[in-house]
Amino acid sequence: MIHESTAVLQPFVADTSFWVATAIFVIAYGVIISEKLHKTVIAVFAASLMLVLKILEQHEAFHIEELGVDWNVIFLLISMMIIINLMKPTGIFEYIAIKSAKWGKGEPFRIMVVFSIVTAVLSALLDNITTVLLIVPVTIFIADALEVDPIPYLISCALASNIGGTATLIGDPPNIMIASKAHLNFMDFIYNLTPVVVVLMIVYILVIKLIWGKKLKTKEELKKRIMQMDEREAIKDPVMLKKSLVVLAVVFAGFVFHGALNFQPATIALFGAGLLLLLSKNHDLRYILAEIEWPTIFFFIGLFIIVGGVVKVGMIKWMSVQVINLTQGNLFATSMVVMWFSAFASAIIDNIPYVATMTPLIINMAEQMWPNLSGAQLLHHPDLMPLWWSLALGACLGGNGTAIGASANVIIVGISEKAGNRITFLKFMAYGMPVMIITVIVATLYVWLRYYVLGI
Amino acid sequence: MKANDLMIPLHEYLKPDDTLREAVKLLRIAKRGEEAVGVKGLPVLDEKEKLIGMLSMGDILKSVYPSYMSLMNLGDFTWDGMAEEFAKKAAEKKVKDVMTRKVITVRDNASLMECIDHMLKNNVKRVPVLNKENRVVGMLYERDIFNFITKEMLDEAEGSR
Repeated sequence: MIHESTAVLQPFVADTSFWVATAIFVIAYGVIISEKLHKTVIAVFAASLMLVLKILEQHEAFHIEELGVDWNVIFLLISMMIIINLMKPTGIFEYIAIKSAKWGKGEPFRIMVVFSIVTAVLSALLDNITTVLLIVPVTIFIADALEVDPIPYLISCALASNIGGTATLIGDPPNIMIASKAHLNFMDFIYNLTPVVVVLMIVYILVIKLIWGKKLKTKEELKKRIMQMDEREAIKDPVMLKKSLVVLAVVFAGFVFHGALNFQPATIALFGAGLLLLLSKNHDLRYILAEIEWPTIFFFIGLFIIVGGVVKVGMIKWMSVQVINLTQGNLFATSMVVMWFSAFASAIIDNIPYVATMTPLIINMAEQMWPNLSGAQLLHHPDLMPLWWSLALGACLGGNGTAIGASANVIIVGISEKAGNRITFLKFMAYGMPVMIITVIVATLYVWLRYYVLGI
Repeated sequence: MKANDLMIPLHEYLKPDDTLREAVKLLRIAKRGEEAVGVKGLPVLDEKEKLIGMLSMGDILKSVYPSYMSLMNLGDFTWDGMAEEFAKKAAEKKVKDVMTRKVITVRDNASLMECIDHMLKNNVKRVPVLNKENRVVGMLYERDIFNFITKEMLDEAEGSR
């Protein structure tokens, strides 16, 4: 048994449960990376092993925030999905997409830029998975109308969604997890991440201009196909649309003030979902609820329990000691290591399991550096804050590195293949990896300049 | 009355590597009974004449329908000539990529009610009829069952078979 304050000094003694939990963790993550089985199946099964083998008590897995399922994350995701599922039939997303294509004036590259910006903004406000599910079908449709290769549009859409999602608490699953574990609120993300994401988007648009600016061409008569589309026809249910927009406005106002009002983000989102369910009429509840991305939700549930197991046996603490030894307690160095390691790790493994592991690791590091502090004083220690932002930036932007780096990429590659446009792993990486490296360099400069030079 | 009394013995079938162009040609001229009237679906058999799928009108329509359209409401924004463009592209697709793999079949000695049960529960209009060795011996069409039971209703079934 290890005590908090002596962890750094005493040699680590690993017992049987340590090795059992570590083996479950390593094998589960290994199989997830190998993609031999569906990641949700592995996560749920490995989580059940943690319980059956008595690494965790069921009570710990279900009811202790530090060791088990983080219901704040689960309910935030479920609630936002319910809101989107109720909004989808109104036609608002088709409206936005067609309108965007018309803003692009039927010019292939202009459309790519508008779609990238719209995708980034939607990804910041909704979760990435939802956004790409709404944008990708229209993207391929528009590319077909213009008779251009849809693949550049799809890749640019995936990359933009991961950059945009970085901007807010609700934009990307890593941010949701970091916010919940570090008790950061919506406005913390707006102050610290949104400014750099705006810069990143500008850089990103310059990059895609360099890559595709001159390559995409279409015929004049095909542009007319786009310009003749009437986006107003997309709106199928204006009454429900108005209700949805009001509820969405309430939800976002709630997010802005949730810190001040002392509500968790999940409470705000659940209220929004409940209110919109109440206001909407004639909907098929079974369908609305079935449309929730249950595989993703259960992936989270499984991961939280797996990570809870290795937290309990002290493996995460052991890892955090190694990180501290590596950087010798230099927080700037730690922050840079976290950012770059996160970027490459998230490119290789899904950033959700990665961040699920990293959040307790950083908290453990903080506990060892400031053993006398606890609660918000510990989690929001001024020297610790840049680490959270480095983790968020690294993990979210790292998702762009490969086709499997982020859920959005996986979904886009899947839909694209079904539509007959195969995006190979290498093809995605040829665009994704340079964009990842450029954006992480910009993010590195930002963290260094803002937190270590200017100190604001 | 059993499945093999009402079925049309198997004349034509498709191979998995046929292109859709070849397949639709066959669908349009395939015999049903004695007449070459065309059929709305044919079984797909592999080189060992084992049943591996069915290709029917619905599958062909789906082959020209881009999968992304089922994800969003984009019908209002389609353009004239879109279906024609996609049909030309789809002509090169292979039967095995378009066919329905999960085939509802009946045994040759299945009762008529069992056949109706399968058709209604699975919403199919034609089922391949298999013998004891699981070989396709014929096709049973909704239309032929309809003709038979309506005769029954009109009390004309007697002596017709």
